[in-house]
Amino acid sequence: MSDAILLQDVVKTYRSGTLEVNALRGVSFAVGSGDFVAIMGPSGSGKSTLMNLIGCLDRPSSGLYRLDGVDVSLLDDNALAAIRLRKLGFVFQGFNLLPRTDALKNVALPLFYAGVPSRERERMAAAALSGVGLGGRGRHKPTELSGGEQQRVAIARALVNDPAVLLADEPTGNLDSQTSEEILALFGQLNASGRTIVMVTHDPEIARHARRTIRLKDGLVVADEVAGPRLAMPRSAY
Amino acid sequence: MIAGFFAEACGVLSGNKMRSFLTVLGLIIGVAAVIAIQILGKGMSGAVGGVLGSLNDHSFFLFPNSRQADFTKASITYKDIERTKELFPNIVAAIPAGNVERLVTSGHEHARLGITADSDISFAAVPFIFGRDLSREEVDDSAHVCVITNDAWKRLFPDGRDPVGESLRVGERRYVILGVHDKPTQGIIPVSFGGDVSIPYTTYEREYLRSRPLFAARFVVADASKLADTEIAVIAFFKSAKQGRADYQTFDRKSFSTSVDAIFGVLTAVVALIGAVSLLVAGIGIMNIMLVSVTERTREIGIRKAIGATSSQVLAQFFIEALLLSLVGCGIGLALGLIAGFAINRFALIAISGVVSPVPWLQSVAIAVAFATIVTLVFGTYPAFRAARLNPIEALRYE
Repeated sequence: MSDAILLQDVVKTYRSGTLEVNALRGVSFAVGSGDFVAIMGPSGSGKSTLMNLIGCLDRPSSGLYRLDGVDVSLLDDNALAAIRLRKLGFVFQGFNLLPRTDALKNVALPLFYAGVPSRERERMAAAALSGVGLGGRGRHKPTELSGGEQQRVAIARALVNDPAVLLADEPTGNLDSQTSEEILALFGQLNASGRTIVMVTHDPEIARHARRTIRLKDGLVVADEVAGPRLAMPRSAY
Repeated sequence: MIAGFFAEACGVLSGNKMRSFLTVLGLIIGVAAVIAIQILGKGMSGAVGGVLGSLNDHSFFLFPNSRQADFTKASITYKDIERTKELFPNIVAAIPAGNVERLVTSGHEHARLGITADSDISFAAVPFIFGRDLSREEVDDSAHVCVITNDAWKRLFPDGRDPVGESLRVGERRYVILGVHDKPTQGIIPVSFGGDVSIPYTTYEREYLRSRPLFAARFVVADASKLADTEIAVIAFFKSAKQGRADYQTFDRKSFSTSVDAIFGVLTAVVALIGAVSLLVAGIGIMNIMLVSVTERTREIGIRKAIGATSSQVLAQFFIEALLLSLVGCGIGLALGLIAGFAINRFALIAISGVVSPVPWLQSVAIAVAFATIVTLVFGTYPAFRAARLNPIEALRYE
C-alpha cells in the first residue's frame, strides 16, 4: 500500500522579530492510503502547524513532505494551490462556507477553480451533496441550514474533487454531541469506502473514531497508537 | 473561467445594490457630465457653423471700423465698391449691403417688406422651395427680377401657389419672381440683412441707392485661398480713398471661425479638467469600497485559497468586480450623458441655429470606455492585489 502522506524530520520554525519559535521540531510519520488518523495534542503542541503543513497552506522549514507521491516541500505558491485543489479536501471547525452562496455553488467552488464547465460542475456538486445525504438541499444558503447540514455541505465540497486526503480540523467542534456522532459516522463510512482521512482534534472521544492516533507535544510526536476496536487496518512502514 | 468570474461578480455586486450604486454614482455623474458637455461643444460648433452658413467662404464684409471718432466720414460709396472689381481681379462681385422697406403688392395682397441687394452667388446657402436663384446675366443686365423668402411668399400668396413667373409690384416697378427660398436662420450672430425680397445689386443700386452713401458692402472673391490678402488690399484701398481719415474692418467666416475655435479650445480643456477630477474622485470611491470589500471578505478569500484558488484567480475575481463596477457606472453615465447632450442639442441649439449637429456617438462611447479602463486599472488593481496577497492561514483565522 502506498503512502498518502509521508513526513520525514519535518521542522517548522516561526520567526517573529528576534524570537524563534520551533513549532515542529522533527516530525516523522506516514499515513497509508485508506487510513483514518487522528492527530491530538494540547494547545501549543504544534498540531495546527502540522495541519497547515499537511494541508499545503504552508511549507516546512526543513524536512521532507510527500503527499500522494509528490514532494510538496519545495513547491511554489501556485503549485501548492494546485495541490490543494486536486489532492486535498478541507473540513473546518467553523464550516467555512461562503455565506451568500447556496449549498450547490459552495460545493461546486473547487470545480470552478479547476476549470470544470458549469453544467458539469452542477452535476458533480449535486452528486456530492447526495453522497452526504443532502440531496434536496442544494438551493439553500448556509444560513438556512443547521450546523450538521453545513458541515455536510463542507464535507461534500471537500470531496467533490476526489482528493487523495480529506483533512478535518476539529470537524465537530461547533456541533452538539448527537450531530457530532452523525458527522463522525459519515467519516467512518467515507473511510470504509477507501477515503484517507486525517483529523485534528483535542477530544479523545472524537479521536477514538479514528483507527490510529498520533499525539503531539512540544512539536514532537510522543505517541502513535492504534486505537479503538477496529484494529484490522493496514499500517504503513517508514 | 472569466465568464464565471463575471457571473460571480454580478452576484456579489447585486447582493449589495445600494452600496454598489453609491460607489459608482461619482463615476456616473462624471462620465455623464463629460459626455453631455462634449456633445454640447459639438452642437455649439455646429450652431456657429450654421449661423455662419449664411456667409460662405468666398465672401467677406467691409464696414467702417467702430473704433473711430467720426463714423460718418467712413461711409462707403457704390462707386468705390464698383472700382474694387477693376482694381482687384480676385473680386467677382461687390455688393452694397442694404435693406430698404417698401410696400410690395401682388394682386390684392400687399405687405411691407425689406428689399435687399444680392448677386448670382447667393448670399445665403439656403434651399429653394420654388424656382431658382438670380443668374449672372440678370445681375449684369440689372434685370427687374427677384427671389423671395418663404415668409414673403406666405404673406403675398396665401393660397400657397407656385409664384414663379408672376411679378411683384414695388412702387412703379415690377419684379418677376424667379424663386422662393427658406429664410436663413438668424442664429446667435445675425449676419444676414434680413431682406425678404432679393434683387440684383445692380438693380438695387439703380432703383434705391443712387448716390447715397452705404453702410457696408459685401465682396465675393474667385479664389477663397486669397481671401485674407484681398481683404487687406480692399481695406487699404478704402482708407486711401478717404486719405487715411477713416478706418475700415472686414469680417469673414474664417476669421470668425478661428476665434470660435479658440473659445472651444478653452472649453475642451475645461471639460478635460472636469473629466480628470471626476475620474480621480470616482476612482478613489471605487478603490475605497473595494478595499473595504477585501477586508470584509478576508475569511472568504482564505476559504477560496484553502480550497485551491491561486493568487491570480483571487486577483482576477476582485479585479473583475472593480471592472464591472466601472463598466456599469460608465455605461449608465454614457446613457445619461447622451440623453442630456441630445436634449440640449435638440431643444436649445438646433432651435437657435437651425443646424442639426450629429451626436458624436463614437467619441462618447470612447470616452466612457476610456474612463472605465483607467478607473479599473488605476484604482481596481491595488485592492485586487491586496486580496491576492493574503496569506490563507491568516485569512482563515480572520473574524
